[in-house]
Amino acid sequence: MKKKIVSLLLVGVLAMSAFVGCGKSSGNSAKSDDSANTEENTAAKMYTSDDENTLTVAAWDANFNIPALKAAEKAFQKENPDFKLEIIEQSQSSDIENAITTAAQSGNYENLPDIVLFQDHYIQQYVTNYPDAWQDIDDADIDWSDFGEEKLSFSTIDGKHYGAPVDNGTVIFAYRVDLLEQCGYTLDDVTGITWDKFIEIGEKVYNETGKYLLSMDGSGNDLPYMMLQAEGVSQFKDGKANIADNKTMTQIIEVIEKMQQKNVLLLANDWSGYTNDIQKDKVAGVMNGNWIIPTIEQVAENSGKWEITSMPTLSGEEGYASNGGASLYVTANCKKTDLAKKFLAYTFGGGDGAIDTYDNALRDGGVITTCISAGKSDVYQEGVEYFNNQAIYAKIVEMGSHVKVVEQSDYHYTAREKVAAAITNIHNGTSVEDALAQAQQDLEFAMEE
Amino acid sequence: MSKNKKGMNIQAKQQRAGWIFLAPATLMIAVFSFYPMIQAFITSFTTGTGVNTKAADPLNYNYLRMFADRTFLRSVGNTFLYLAIEVPIMLILAILLAQLLNNKDLKFRGLFRTMVFLPCATSLVSYALIFKSLFAQDGLINQVLVSLGILESNYNFLGNTGSARAVIIIALIWRWTGYNMVFYLAGLQNIEYSVYEAAKIDGANGWKTFWKITVPLLMPTIVMTVIMSINGTLQLFDESVNLTKGGPAMSTMTMSHYIYNNAFGQGVGKFGYASAMSFFIFILVAILSAISMKVGDNRD
Amino acid sequence: MTNKKNSSAIQRRLIPTYIFLIIFSFISVFPLYWMIAAATNQSVDVARGKITFGAYALDNFQKLTSQTDLWGALGNSFLYAVVQTLVALLICSLAGFGFELYHDKAKDRVFSILLLAMMIPQVATMIPLFKMVSAAGLLNTVWAFILPSISTPFLIMMFRQNSRNFPIDIMEAARLDGLSEFQIFFRMYMPVMKSTYAAAAVITFMNAWNAYLWPKVVMADTRAQTMPMLIANLASGYTTDYGVLMMGVLFCSLPTMIVFFVLQKQFAEGITGSVK
Repeated sequence: MKKKIVSLLLVGVLAMSAFVGCGKSSGNSAKSDDSANTEENTAAKMYTSDDENTLTVAAWDANFNIPALKAAEKAFQKENPDFKLEIIEQSQSSDIENAITTAAQSGNYENLPDIVLFQDHYIQQYVTNYPDAWQDIDDADIDWSDFGEEKLSFSTIDGKHYGAPVDNGTVIFAYRVDLLEQCGYTLDDVTGITWDKFIEIGEKVYNETGKYLLSMDGSGNDLPYMMLQAEGVSQFKDGKANIADNKTMTQIIEVIEKMQQKNVLLLANDWSGYTNDIQKDKVAGVMNGNWIIPTIEQVAENSGKWEITSMPTLSGEEGYASNGGASLYVTANCKKTDLAKKFLAYTFGGGDGAIDTYDNALRDGGVITTCISAGKSDVYQEGVEYFNNQAIYAKIVEMGSHVKVVEQSDYHYTAREKVAAAITNIHNGTSVEDALAQAQQDLEFAMEE
Repeated sequence: MSKNKKGMNIQAKQQRAGWIFLAPATLMIAVFSFYPMIQAFITSFTTGTGVNTKAADPLNYNYLRMFADRTFLRSVGNTFLYLAIEVPIMLILAILLAQLLNNKDLKFRGLFRTMVFLPCATSLVSYALIFKSLFAQDGLINQVLVSLGILESNYNFLGNTGSARAVIIIALIWRWTGYNMVFYLAGLQNIEYSVYEAAKIDGANGWKTFWKITVPLLMPTIVMTVIMSINGTLQLFDESVNLTKGGPAMSTMTMSHYIYNNAFGQGVGKFGYASAMSFFIFILVAILSAISMKVGDNRD
Repeated sequence: MTNKKNSSAIQRRLIPTYIFLIIFSFISVFPLYWMIAAATNQSVDVARGKITFGAYALDNFQKLTSQTDLWGALGNSFLYAVVQTLVALLICSLAGFGFELYHDKAKDRVFSILLLAMMIPQVATMIPLFKMVSAAGLLNTVWAFILPSISTPFLIMMFRQNSRNFPIDIMEAARLDGLSEFQIFFRMYMPVMKSTYAAAAVITFMNAWNAYLWPKVVMADTRAQTMPMLIANLASGYTTDYGVLMMGVLFCSLPTMIVFFVLQKQFAEGITGSVK
């Protein structure tokens, strides 16, 4: 029996050798001849379609961004019935970033789709470093004044518009109001409070219910960034790292450490640990970009028990921040630029098409518009059952208009990584001053060219 | 005379045939390993990305930077820690297992051998996922340790530096011991049984035969596995990425992981710097392999 | 009688050995058992560390096939791994044959240079390799997947070592019979070296099947994705279903285990030859 398998294998090897021999000779004979060309075409075809009414787009998150793109396809089909949008699903945003990097580094864009969804924080440096990978959409029929200034500040490079803004990363603080009530608090009691007051409430909630009032992914660390933005402060100042001598940063880091010590904050090891904690019902509060809503909604039995509000701040004013939004960009590989611009302008650029797109995007996935006029549609005023019939979407659009513009940097995520390391080190006994000084040094080092 | 000439012709023909046989493989290694490495070497003298790529100033900037880079130095430290702890434990276990399984009186040898080798058949991505969930804070290991009373409450294995490193080392030992064992077992089977018989007659005990006969005769295999392990450990990537993401606070990150982060990880494509660090690894592996070959030779 | 007594005495002395082997085997196999058990449980139970089998195997399987293109990824992985194994075996065995049985000073020197390639870190060559593969228009094809790993110093070395056992006298006899050098390779060397081929096939198949970093760069198209990519995607979504994930891990691990089981004996023999 086993002998048979081995001899089969040998036959296979022989067969292959003949096959390879053929492949080699045809490959050698001429690089530009037909056989080579057809291969190239099939590879290219996978990513951009030959059909003149079809566009391809790469995006991540099947529960959030992808339904929005499907809604956009449907909306645009009213304008152009033959239109088709092929969605290439990616597991995470970094897949798209890596695809652009490898394509641009090798000067070969044929592996890119027509349009990509791209993280706001990264786009500036990708356009600066790889200008040939993109096509601007400055002349698309989009009313740019219909978008928030903070959102557009990411996708406008050298005065030119490159991206069609999609999701809004406005931060929400969602609370389990039933648990708050159990401890004698209402939503009003946690709105417009200082972090110190928040800790006081959080302690009580943990002691009475065993649940944490806040949780976060400890490795990526969105938390200090959001808390800082709510104060109107950045991790950067005039293009330089602003961590060690940043008083607000020091205060925030101290708050975070205090929250950990008092069982108010649960830091997970990584992203999946964080979402698991939410789904395992370990938390009484969730604070993040509003794209976190589908994750909260996964726990069906807690429907009607949640409501949302703004963030606490150091001073006790209501805090507003934005985390992790994205926009759509046209790549160099797109040959149907006019169609792409028309599609983006109609569906994401304001007017009836945008209302149509976003109404459905909201219903199917919870993607919230950054387009001011689309946010006025009736769907946004409706109460959401899961959130105790609160009109959360109108609330989010409203909160989004208060987000302060803070200085951005290509090293946004590097800074976050260093600050996250500082928080871990402080929790393990390093002094706040030393840990932040090291984060400052490490970040400065990383930013050296 | 003419016969002699003909003989030489045949030899020359054979030599040519030999070159033809090894040509495809040699060419492919040249094209797909050495050529890209030369490209990377050239890249290592540049800074910036894409259109902003320029020659480094000074030219060895990336190489100087490396030794001032705390995160990189720590990743070097981590990698060597894994190397220093994991490789000896794993190889000693592997030799021990091979020695035990080489006993002709042992029953179920095939079954034991298969079970010990099985971990190698799992893909790196899979086994990282398996270990991650086993060692999760509310995972199985924690439950067992708590119910046995060894731990008081669930411990965050992957969230603390020491234990996260330990988990990586345990995972590596689990994955690779059987693989190395197969090589030792094969090496042992090449040793004539009569050599042992002779030793027995001379009155050598188990330990003595092991050190005086088994180890020296196994030396070529040991050298080979040591080189393979050094090579594998210094290029360690998947475990660091999939088990701990290099955390907490970058304290478990390996060299390859840090290089990957510099080239692709955080959107800041420092290809020049990443290439320079890769060269550093290349030279390290070459030196360590040369040393282990020398040590192996001397004992021979 | 004495013989029997003798052997039971030997077995008694082996008890510590058995205990050690049983413990080690248990440690080796347990995570795999746990993977299989987890594949039959609900996500919540997996997270809680349930170690017994559950009733959700079919459920997880259905979710896996509906959420992902499992058969597509399995097919791709099979295609790539089989093609890579066949081509790599042919090319590397030719080289091992050439290096050992036709060896001279020059060839030995070439061989030691080739060994250096073993020490090149993969991360360093990724971008230049991508440039080459994309310039050739091979992205998302099986060739992009296999080209960098067809010729490996390790396999060449393995065949070279094993070729030492190949009887040179037979070659001389064959030459006198009028066989060409290539005929000697295909008709005599290949059949004699079958256990080396088996060992090399197991190792190459496993490496190809488990490859992750490089395929992720060149096989960007979802239609070309492999099993390790599929399970990595399952694990990195916003919400991970551990039962479904472990079902995916199981499907990713089974083929390599089957290949090992089938070729186990030849594998051991092949490795034995290479460490001689």
